[in-house]
Amino acid sequence: MTLMFQPSPPDHVPADRMVDFDMFHIPDGVSDPAEIWHDLVRRGVPDIFYTPHNGGHWVFLRYEDIVDAYRDHTVFSTYQTPVPPIEPFPVVQPQGVDPPAHNVFRRLLAPMFTPTAVRGMMDELERRAAELIEGFAARGECDFITEFAERYPTGTFLYLFGLPEERLDEFLALANTFFRSTDPAARARNIGEIYAVLDQLFREKERNPSNDIATQIVMARDENGAQHSWEDILNCGFLLFVAGLDTVTNTMAYIWRYLATTPAAQKHFRDRLDDPDGFLRGIEELMRINAVSNLFRRVTHDCEYRGVQFRRNDRVVLPNTVANRDPRVFKAPQVIDLDRKVNVHLTFGVGPHRCIGSVLAKREVMVSLQQWLRRIPEFSLADEQPAGSVFGGSVMGFTALRLRWEVAARQAAA
Amino acid sequence: MMRVIVNHSLCQGHARCEDLCPEVFATDAVEGKVVIVQDEVPAALEDKVRLAVRNCPEGALRVARSGPAEGAE
Ligand code: HEM
Ligand code: SF4
Repeated sequence: MTLMFQPSPPDHVPADRMVDFDMFHIPDGVSDPAEIWHDLVRRGVPDIFYTPHNGGHWVFLRYEDIVDAYRDHTVFSTYQTPVPPIEPFPVVQPQGVDPPAHNVFRRLLAPMFTPTAVRGMMDELERRAAELIEGFAARGECDFITEFAERYPTGTFLYLFGLPEERLDEFLALANTFFRSTDPAARARNIGEIYAVLDQLFREKERNPSNDIATQIVMARDENGAQHSWEDILNCGFLLFVAGLDTVTNTMAYIWRYLATTPAAQKHFRDRLDDPDGFLRGIEELMRINAVSNLFRRVTHDCEYRGVQFRRNDRVVLPNTVANRDPRVFKAPQVIDLDRKVNVHLTFGVGPHRCIGSVLAKREVMVSLQQWLRRIPEFSLADEQPAGSVFGGSVMGFTALRLRWEVAARQAAA
Repeated sequence: MMRVIVNHSLCQGHARCEDLCPEVFATDAVEGKVVIVQDEVPAALEDKVRLAVRNCPEGALRVARSGPAEGAE
């Protein structure tokens, strides 16, 4: 196999743009993986720098440059981008395809996740959140990540794909290996398993169409009236499976950890349980502050950008968490202002690939917090935190968060 | 009268505008992009519309004044 998308050695990188930075390594004692990124800004490294770690890649730190990279697919492609470089990498639909071909699956999926479409999911999103929370509310404590933040988005996936609830544990196990395993053989096997499950699911939906997203994907026809290629259908199912789980889980983990340590913020949202606009404004700010995704791009040809030389196949990493605190764009960027009026954060990206599930993701977080506060109005961190890990990479997060609350307070509120 | 002008080639369907002012903005079911529900913005909604415009992450929206001098900003 000839490798076509390997970066070249960095002899085009000037010494003053070289920084020793490993995005996958979170030093001991750091509880927030985003801090390794904010630390770069505090240290005053160049806005555009190169690190030799993980196969070598650039990092952009300015909001404006990150937006340029998201927007200009002619230079910064989403095709074959992994850091460190792996080849060949599955071409997920539509994220791994550049415009204009990208538009085929984009157009197919985008209408399924508009505010109107998501409004039709609200009863089910609410019911599922309430059911999970009722499962532990009377206990006065829970392991937030395993009992809620992982189960909720995985359950949402089952619902959207028309799969029965009984399969939740099977899908949780598949997702956990995918997101947490560091063993290459286990990962390769796991990806094979996910594709096998999707293959079976789409075949079943083709035979018995129903009112769900899997059916819409498999029954969709291209401009010539033909079904999309089976490979693309699987690659699209795969993206929907991986795009909306770990992102939502870790966003929730960050948000609940912040709330557990910030009683005034809990009150802010409690006071807005009957004010959806005010509530959503607060969620939008928590999305800005807790941007868990770092995106990858691949340079398509030798070129210059802002006076810096780039080579074909150079990787570029775009840390949304840094963009979201750029003082050139945000007033008092370090302040968490739950009433922030203008908030053009990049948590869901921007440009042609911006997150198709952004409305759904925000509603998932919003509904969960509303249902939570109605049953658990006040909560804090438990004294004992289980041993867990903190991880960086393309999605940042942590695996342990134990919460506690007074059960009496809950009964009084009920 | 305040009017909203959309640059459809920039809109990527974040639906921030619809979230902030559903009286004026909606998201279509064909491409998932913005559609303007009311061309002429009632005075009572002008502030909400301005806020929606400023929150569009793509810079796809702007407002203009039209009255006797059609199209004047
Ligand atoms: C808080 C949770 C989420 C975050 C932070 C997030 C973030 C992102 C980001 C930054 C992108 C842009 C990728 C790029 O430019 O390369 C993206 C794309 C995407 N997301 Fe999300 N996402 C979240 C939840 C979801 C959910 C729930 C879904 C489920 C429908 C979803 C589906 C997608 C899809 C299909 C794309 C690819 C769009 C394209 O390439 O045109 N995401 N997401
Ligand atoms: S906020 Fe901007 S990009 Fe998003 S739907 Fe509205 S006009 Fe389009």
